[in-house]
Amino acid sequence: MKARSKRLTLLAVLLFLFISGFLLSLLGGPVETSPGDLFDFFFHNLNDPTLRKIFIDIRLSRALLAFLVGASLSLSGAILQGYFQNPMAGPFVVGVSSGASFGAVLCIYLGLNVRFFGFSLQSLFAFASGFAIVFLVYLLSQRKSVFKVETLLLTGIAAGALASALTSFLIFFKSENFEQAVFWLLGSFKLADWNQIIAVFPYFLLCFALAQWLAKDMNLLVQGDEIAQSLGCPVNRVRKTFLAVSTLLAASSVSVSGIIGFVGLVVPHWIRILIGPNHRHLFFFSALTGGVFLVYSDFLARTLLSPTELPIGIITAAVGAPFFIYLLNQSR
Amino acid sequence: MNIKKKSSVVLFILLAAFILESQERTIKDDLGFAFEIKSPPQRIISLAPNITETLFALGLGEKVVGVTRYCDFPEEAMKKEKIGGIVDPSLEKIIALKADLIIGFRGNPLPTIERLRNLNLPVFVLDAGTTIESTLSIVKKIGTVTHAEKRAELFIDSLRERYERIVAALRSVTEEPKVFLSLHGSGLWTCGKESFLDDLVKKARGVNIAGTIPRKWLNYNREHLIHEDPEVIIILAGSKQDFLKTKKWIKSEAHLEGTKAVDADRIYFMDENLATRQGPRLIEALEELARLLHPHCFEKE
Repeated sequence: MKARSKRLTLLAVLLFLFISGFLLSLLGGPVETSPGDLFDFFFHNLNDPTLRKIFIDIRLSRALLAFLVGASLSLSGAILQGYFQNPMAGPFVVGVSSGASFGAVLCIYLGLNVRFFGFSLQSLFAFASGFAIVFLVYLLSQRKSVFKVETLLLTGIAAGALASALTSFLIFFKSENFEQAVFWLLGSFKLADWNQIIAVFPYFLLCFALAQWLAKDMNLLVQGDEIAQSLGCPVNRVRKTFLAVSTLLAASSVSVSGIIGFVGLVVPHWIRILIGPNHRHLFFFSALTGGVFLVYSDFLARTLLSPTELPIGIITAAVGAPFFIYLLNQSR
Repeated sequence: MNIKKKSSVVLFILLAAFILESQERTIKDDLGFAFEIKSPPQRIISLAPNITETLFALGLGEKVVGVTRYCDFPEEAMKKEKIGGIVDPSLEKIIALKADLIIGFRGNPLPTIERLRNLNLPVFVLDAGTTIESTLSIVKKIGTVTHAEKRAELFIDSLRERYERIVAALRSVTEEPKVFLSLHGSGLWTCGKESFLDDLVKKARGVNIAGTIPRKWLNYNREHLIHEDPEVIIILAGSKQDFLKTKKWIKSEAHLEGTKAVDADRIYFMDENLATRQGPRLIEALEELARLLHPHCFEKE
């Protein structure tokens, strides 16, 4: 009963932070707007084209995208930490982020700037190459039909390093596109729009549903594959699904916002410390917390030095790390 | 029909054609997007310093409502609302200024430009070539899109005249000195073949020692620099102070003692804002550079 009330408290706090985060995001920006303006806009003046663009197309879409990406990355991290039974695992260890940013930078380098049904080719490149590298890593680590989790982890780290090297090479080679390349390496929601939300949302929904559905199998997996098998969990199939789901989440996030570090590593930890290791709750709360965390981080990133914007990765690490260390000490 | 009638009909047709044409015209910007020129723009945002300079030079300063934080010339430009930087303009600020014309330039990131276009904002992007002549086409296009063609033409003529005078003065040059252009203070940042600064050096009758490298900007190799042995080093700096700092650095820490330029103390200062902006003041920069490289050509004046 105690665990349940803990969860309810956390849920209430998160919902409060969620709503206030969105309000803050709608109100803050280089153009000054008061709560009165916002109220006026929503209740009297919904057709004012300028306010509509600022509130809806710029600020709301940005906050929503930040939420979706934060939720995706945290969920991906929560899955992978269970998958590898390794607290250092995050959405980026199996090479997906380095692969995705390589795809994006390659696209910039080739000068391809086309859109298909609202998706930019850069995003598609990022997505495809992120997915491709994980698939490759998976095949490589499955030699002689014996599959070892550690091999997957290490191959992923190596492949990621290779992709990063290639990315750096491209950036070095075409320095005038430096600014665009940095976008992919440090992450930003600067250019968020509704198309990107439409692009990410279905993946998130699908992955979230799958993760919730398989959460009890993950609870078995963390006790070891043999035990899980003996308790009736189809270990191989579940593992494959989880790997695909976490990759999909990370690749779709990177494809719209670039690499945003720390969220996927830290948020699942916080949640595990706060509510325990049951994955059914862990997945849900990780996603919600990650989303809220990025909404606030993005708000800080764009308002601290307004009108100049900080890369959001600076905020996530600078705010997240001390808090994380504090929590670790508390839980001991 | 008598001649009077005839000519008045012709005049009428011409006038009608002119009015029709001036009301509905589309031109393509340098990214290939059609831009509809309606009435003369009243609220213009410039996304780059060279665009701002051109707008002011064409007498459109009053119509400018937003500039970047780097737009510092002419002085009145600094009083305008700032919309952010060249690579990080604030979308919100741009929207809030309700411009009817937003002129971008090559240095603005394409995704940002695309985002502005998706927001249905009137963006017109210029991406001139890498020669001094192409700078004149920037002036021309800005003239067209702002309904200031006549003024633009006159202005271009005066720029061209000044340019021809410089070319004429340099006609007697027989030997072109090797030049190293130093950018960004310390470090051996310079410009390669694909930069318009390479053309500037060429037109001033010098040889850019990094002009064989197919890049825009690059960090030059110290060994190469010693090997190429430039006769003149031009330091593009924001102020005299910065220039002296870089000069000291080049002489001592870059190990360039013994090169011709250092030995003869032919290390010169040029205002970086003058030379690195592809705007109308580039002709001024050309003259300044020509005078530094070939002072004897300008002595008679």
